[in-house]
Amino acid sequence: MSPEIADLIARCALRDRTAFRDLYTRTSAKLFGVTLRILKDRSEAEEALQEVYVKIWQRADRYVAGGYSPISWLVAVARNHSLDVLRARKPVSDDIDLVLDLADGAPDPEQATIDSSERTRIDGCLDELESDKADCVRGAYLDGFSYEELATRHSVPLNTMRTWLRRSLLKLRECLQA
Amino acid sequence: MSTDGHSGGREDDQVLVAEYALGLLEGGERAALARRIASEPVLASDLRLWRSRLATLDGEFAEVTAPSGVLARIEGRLFGAAAPAAGGWWNSLALWRGLTAAAAAVAVVAIGVNLLQPRVDPNALATQLVAAIQAQEGSGVEFVALYDQASGQVRITSLKGTAVPDKDFELWYIKGEQPAVSMGVIPVDERLEIPLDATAKANIEPGTVLAVTLEQKGGSPTGVAQGPIVAVGTVTPI
Repeated sequence: MSPEIADLIARCALRDRTAFRDLYTRTSAKLFGVTLRILKDRSEAEEALQEVYVKIWQRADRYVAGGYSPISWLVAVARNHSLDVLRARKPVSDDIDLVLDLADGAPDPEQATIDSSERTRIDGCLDELESDKADCVRGAYLDGFSYEELATRHSVPLNTMRTWLRRSLLKLRECLQA
Repeated sequence: MSTDGHSGGREDDQVLVAEYALGLLEGGERAALARRIASEPVLASDLRLWRSRLATLDGEFAEVTAPSGVLARIEGRLFGAAAPAAGGWWNSLALWRGLTAAAAAVAVVAIGVNLLQPRVDPNALATQLVAAIQAQEGSGVEFVALYDQASGQVRITSLKGTAVPDKDFELWYIKGEQPAVSMGVIPVDERLEIPLDATAKANIEPGTVLAVTLEQKGGSPTGVAQGPIVAVGTVTPI
């Protein structure tokens, strides 16, 4: 399935509208699953899905096969957009201009490379964390929970949550590098 | 071993980058790290690693059928109401398929040209041209090439394909009925920036054909394509 999705993305880069429609048909349920899970509001998720596919069409030429798996690249576009929507929901008190300017200043997800052995290892490493700590990592990644939300859900102070999660990430890193 | 050589600062950085990848940083902190990632390759590399590690969780996003009508709205936004039939240029590839006798590989070349006016989406990176290439030869090869008018360079990126022993792929442009002009040998596993001379700059425009042939090591010695065409496409405005 993946090679075909990679081909469809490549054809989108070539402005092939039929390929775009095929890509949407093949992947929209997954990406709607992403926007819905993070935004938790059907109409916002639907709006986000539109934006996501517009971005996919516009940025298809930046997908490089052999790096990210094609579906991961699509999920990353959907996830990052949804997180942007989440952030835009809440008032940002300080240096909002800087955030707007630099939010996309980092390297794009499509440049990421994947080591398949690493991919199978992260689940095992998450299993090594205490279950509530692993839940925090999953909650941040899959639900887009902020530190505030994670702290509330786990009934701990914000600073405690941050300390927890940072330690968990260190452990995760060490496990993945072992 | 895992702690060897890691100062506290380095460790802190790696955790910060992980928080960034998870989307946990906000406001000024997020902006500051984004700025550092943009200028510090080590951090950019950390980010790639974290993103690829975390992507393994993607399987946990459940599929939910999207509401009907979303696709139509997206297409309306991208292509407008009077979207021409898809695949006009794509169909022209049949002509090229006919030209190449061998079988089996798919190659794609896209070329972007910054000086062109947007045709489809005025918001986007719309100032581009693309050329699609699909052709035939033993191993599948795909490329995307972007032409940066400002730098006068074509950046060609290999999307797919493997090198052929003792052979090289060579990129050509073909303007109208004129003979193919070599743009040089191109790799199949990395990006390459190809500076264009004034003649090439003047000739690469909508309608120009880009082709990739399989030549002897180092490219055709005669300046004329000798090997089979493995990829071909017409430069088209986006």
